[in-house]
Parts: sequence; C-alpha cells; structure tokens
Amino acid sequence: MNRTTRILAAVGAVAATALALTACTGGGRSSSDLTYWGAFYSPDTEKAFQEIFVDGYNGAAQTPVKMEVKELTTIGKLTDTAVAAGQAPDVIYADGPSSASDFARAGRTIALDEYAQKYDWQDKLLPWAYELSKVDDKLSSVPTGYGSMVLYYNKSVFAEHGWTAPTTLSEFETVAASAAAAGLVPLGGGNAGYQGMSEWLLTAVLNAAVGPDKLYDVLTGDASFTDPEFVGAIDLVKSWIDQGWLAGGSESYFTTDDTANITGLANGTTAMYMSGTWAFNSMSQVFEDPEDWAWAPLPSLSDAVQPGVYPLAIGTALSINTESKNADAAASFIDYLVGDADRALEYTARTGENPPPLAITADQFPAEIDKRTVELYTAIPETTNVGYATWTFFPPKTDAYLISEFDKVVTGDVTSAAYLEGLQQAFQKEHDAGSTLTPFTPAGRE
Amino acid sequence: MTITSPTSTRAGAAAPARRRGSALRRRRRLIAWAFVAPLLLVNLLVITGPGTASILLSFTDWDGLNSPSFVGLANYAELFTSAAVLNALWHNVIWTAFFLVVPMAMGLVGAFLLSRLRRGQMLFRVLFFIPYVLATVISAAIWRQIMDPDGGIGDALATIGIPFLADVNFLGNPSLALGSVAFVNTWQWWGFLLVIFLAAMQAVDPSLYEAAKLDGAGPVREFWSITLPAIRPTFVFLALMTIIWSFLVFDYIYVLTQGGPAGSTDVLSTVLYREAFENRRQGYASAVAMLLTSISAITVIGYLVLRRKLKWDV
Repeated sequence: MNRTTRILAAVGAVAATALALTACTGGGRSSSDLTYWGAFYSPDTEKAFQEIFVDGYNGAAQTPVKMEVKELTTIGKLTDTAVAAGQAPDVIYADGPSSASDFARAGRTIALDEYAQKYDWQDKLLPWAYELSKVDDKLSSVPTGYGSMVLYYNKSVFAEHGWTAPTTLSEFETVAASAAAAGLVPLGGGNAGYQGMSEWLLTAVLNAAVGPDKLYDVLTGDASFTDPEFVGAIDLVKSWIDQGWLAGGSESYFTTDDTANITGLANGTTAMYMSGTWAFNSMSQVFEDPEDWAWAPLPSLSDAVQPGVYPLAIGTALSINTESKNADAAASFIDYLVGDADRALEYTARTGENPPPLAITADQFPAEIDKRTVELYTAIPETTNVGYATWTFFPPKTDAYLISEFDKVVTGDVTSAAYLEGLQQAFQKEHDAGSTLTPFTPAGRE
Repeated sequence: MTITSPTSTRAGAAAPARRRGSALRRRRRLIAWAFVAPLLLVNLLVITGPGTASILLSFTDWDGLNSPSFVGLANYAELFTSAAVLNALWHNVIWTAFFLVVPMAMGLVGAFLLSRLRRGQMLFRVLFFIPYVLATVISAAIWRQIMDPDGGIGDALATIGIPFLADVNFLGNPSLALGSVAFVNTWQWWGFLLVIFLAAMQAVDPSLYEAAKLDGAGPVREFWSITLPAIRPTFVFLALMTIIWSFLVFDYIYVLTQGGPAGSTDVLSTVLYREAFENRRQGYASAVAMLLTSISAITVIGYLVLRRKLKWDV
C-alpha cells in the first residue's frame, strides 16, 4: 500500500465514522437548554412570541428555553415522528388534548399533577379544559390556547344587501339564496392545501345542527353517529354543496384554501365563512379596512339547537417529554405561557392569537386589544350553549376518518349514512380501547 | 552441510513467493474493503437497517408510540382487500403507462429533432432542462396558479375570447385531477429524458446515417432503423427507471392534491404516508412499503432477465 492509498483509506474511514455519528445524532435534548418547537401564522406572531414568552422567560431562567420554529401545518406530524424516534424536545407540542393523550398513554410524556399543584393550574385553568387534559385521572397536558368556531362576514357587503347575521337555518338560507342570486359564493369553504379544513366546517355544522347534547351522548357512547340527526346534518352540508352554496360547488371545494376564503370575504365575493377564532388576526391583515370584518355566533341549523352555539376548541396542548432532563424547567416554561393572564392577553392583543383557557374577567383585557376579541372571550364564559370541536374532543383515528373520508361525501361517492357508519366504526374501536377523552357535561345535565 | 536438490531449491523459493503473493492479495482485499467500508456503513445505516426494520414492522400493529405487537399476515391480508390500496395501485399503473408513453415519446422525438439542429441546440437543451432543476414545490405552486379556475389559464383564455377552459377545474374535478398532475410532472420530467436521449444519440456512429442517406433513407427511417436500435441500452434503462419512479411518485401529487379529491389521485406512496403519519399505523404502512419494494424488485428482475437470458445489450 503506497502512501497516497494509505492516506485515502484513513480519510475514508474517518469520514465514514463522522457520517455515522452525524446520522446517529438528532435534534434531541441537551441538559443545558430547554428545547421547544413552536409554529406560527406569521413572522409577526413569531416575533411577539419570542419577545413576550421566550425572551421574557430567559431573562430570569436558569435553564434558558431554545425555540425551534416549525411549519404550522406540519408541526403535529413532525412531533409525532420525533416522539416515536425519541428525539422530541423537552416541551412537546400536540394539536390538542386528544393528540397529547396518545403520548401520555404510550408513556412518552409525564404526568403533570405535581406541577399542577405547584403552579395552581387547576384553579387557573377553566374546569372543562383542565378535565379534558387528563388521562387516567392524571393531568397529561396543558392547553395553551382556546377558541371556537364562528360565522365571519363582511359588514359592508351585508349592509349593501340589507342582510343581518343569520341566527337560524331559515335566516341562513335566506341570506345564502340572496347571496347566490347576487353572484356571490354564499358560504366559504374548501380544503385545498390542508385537508383538515374540512373538520372546521364539520365542527360548525355538527354543533349547530345536531347540538352539544347529542354530541355528548355520542362521545360518551350513549348514542351513535348513525342516528338520524347526524345523517340530517351531513345531508344539509351536501345540499349546500350541490346547490353551489358551499365554496361554489364540489370541484371548487378541493381547490379553495383558507386564504382564498378570507380574501373572498374581504373583496366581497364570498358572503359568509364558518371558521375558527384563530382567524381574527388573518382577517385584520387581509381586509383593507380591518374594521370591516365581523363575527357572529354560529346560527342554529336545526330546531333542536339553540342559536349561538360555541364549539369549544383547544388547538395546542403542551406536555413534558418523559426523557427530558429539564422537566422542572419545562413545567416552569409552560406556566410562563399559561399561568399569567396579563402576559397571555398581551400576546393576544399583539397577535390576535387565542388566549389560554383561563378564567379571564372583562377588566383584565388590555386597552389595545381588538374589541371583537374581547366580545368573544366575554361571550363564551357567559353562555351555557357550548359544544365540542372535533379536533379537541374526538379521538385521533375518528378525527382522521372524519377528515379524510368527507371528500367522498363532497364528490357524492358515498352517502351521508355510509360516511357516518364508517365514522361510528372508527369511534367505537377507540371508545372500546379507552382512547376517548372525557367531554364536559352539557349545561342542565349535571 | 546440507545439499539440496534443484527441485527442493525451487520449492523453497516458491513458498516465500506464495506467501508474499498471498499477503499482497490480502492487503489488496483490505484496501478494497477500506474503500468500500464507508459506503457499506452508510448503506447499513440508511438502507439495510431501516429496510430490515420495515420488513419486521410490516408484521406488527406498531403505532409509532407503543410497543409493536406481532399480527402475522394481517396487514398483508388487509392490504390486498383494501379499496384504498387497490384504487391507489390502479392509479400507479395508469401513471406508469402514461409516463412510459407520453414523456418517453416526447423525449425521444424531441431529442431526435434537436440532434438534427445545426444551430441553437444548446439553447433548446437548456430551455427544456430548466423545469427539471426547479424545486417541485415551486413548479407545483406555479401550475396550481395556472390551473386555478379563478384567475388561471381558463380565465385568461376566456378574456381573449377562448372560453372552452373557463369552467374547467383541473385539480378539483376527480375525473381530471390525475391527468392534470401527470401533465405537470411530465412538463418537469420530459426535458430530462430529452437530454439523456440526446446524449445517447450523439454517441451513434455518424457513418451509419451517411450510409442510410446514400441508400435513400429519410429522417423517419433513420430514426426507426438506426437511432432507436443504437440507443436501446439508454432507452431500456430509462424505461426501467420510469417504471420504478412511477411507483414511487409522491411529491407532485402530495403538493398539488394530497391524493384528493376523494382519492382520485391517490397512489401507493400517498396511502403509505397517510397511514403512517396521519392514522399512526406504521405497521400497516410498512406493509404498503413492502408492496412498493416488491414491485421495484420485480421490475429489476425483469431487467436482469433481459440482460442475461435474452442477451440484450442493456
């Protein structure tokens, strides 16, 4: 072996070893920093989070938090993969308590009861949110934002046509028919780019047409998704699609995304849009006059449901990685995010993001916060007409079925009854396996 | 004093020589292994290891979080009776047939025409190759805009009095969606085929064309009788890779339609992705992966048969 060959062989061996070692390391945890993955709607939102929460926490923390920003639509899947690989950060993101419960059942996250006691989370968090975050009677995650589904509209467009925000099915149909006649898309919708958008619509319709009482019965195993009320609700959506009321028809449904719906509202080509309260910020950014958009509670879509139902939703829940070497610091950071209402509302005021499910009084809202946000978060605590968002209260596989198979209802490939039969089968499996969460009891049934 | 015979002297000299030869061969083998070792290690880490794990996981119900349980052939039984998988497999077959015909034909004909250009050949090569170097997400986003029923090409044509595409929703109509995505992928892919075919054509002996011309052959005759047989190794290789890549297709479909509307653009890889990352069924997804691997393996075996049994020069 000559000298050159020996050198090349040695370099090859070193490079291979280095590559192998690189492959074996990941984005995992070190004991010096607290790791956290965040995802945001806009750079401004990210900046506000960084300044208020990350920089604020790090100012006094012994173990500083190191935030890694991910794509909002994929952070859930990224986290799933990282958790499976044992490479998740110290503070684990989940798309809500339902996803977080899977991590807890698999022993990938720790019980938080000790920290709940230390930081007084049980008293600070709203009871329904606290109870929902339990698995086997132990707190498994902490919700960091809650909101609801509402009906958005353009005030100028409604004034121009003499419409008022509908509160009943007949009022909704009157506005929709009038909008269609005027050449507008009556109701925005679609799932282009993010199939999960379908469950926003389904959450709104199921709560407004079937009602929280019946949904509670299904979620607790006392009723079935195949019951006539559910079939009627899905048939109602299908009729909107067939009439071209929803998204302009079935084909447009698959090529319309959230931005297009909000833009449609802003430029007056779409009359109404049922979406989540996380869109407050987007509305203000897209509307030329930010004062021109308005929200209204969902209209009642059947005689069985009172107008103005608010499906409660938790979009983000945080847990602590079982393998974390910084569990105490992780709990401290989570408390920094949710434990102080003033700090949380400062973030909401700057970004329009939903605040944590804390007991907030009207006088706590900062002066600069959007008044529509104040209206929402004072209306929800005052009403008993609250329901269940699918991504928060449905178990994961049932929720996945709800989203993916709805496409076939839109195209007419399956009937409402067949779709709901499959939904019931998916739910029954998870219910039998004990993978469902405990929904809050509807008012009047305690 | 020992007197050795000439024979024993030769034997005595041959033994150290054999030892030296054996040591040299060992050293050469060691050097060869030293060079191959890094690649073997990488292969072990990123192909053999995960591949073996996938085979094992395909017999389990692993959800990615809890410990896997052995379920025997249950995943495979479900695989071959699942409407979603069979639908996706059929789309893969359609996709493969489309890509074996349309982009291959475009690449062949385009390369043949370009090969006859005296000037400007490089310009066209670059122009046709540019889509191939564009990131999938970017070209998919561009085509999504072009195909958008509101403000896309249909609207643009309608404004200049050509309304026949005005109401066509390329990606939203289940009957058109698969073809539309295949069209976009062809737009990106055919330029690559063209460049490879052109390179192969330029290696063909020019005297064959001169002889053909003397015999009165036209361009079409030259193409069928000289060009095509001469580039057969390249053609067969690209056809083989087209089949394998067609069954692995994922990116354009995921970015443009995510397998929708209602599964009308689903292929095996989108089903695999959905089962693994949305439904948390890594065990079942591994079985889908095994199906994909089997199809690729069958294709490669077919290639080897062509090489060895039929003595094809490919």
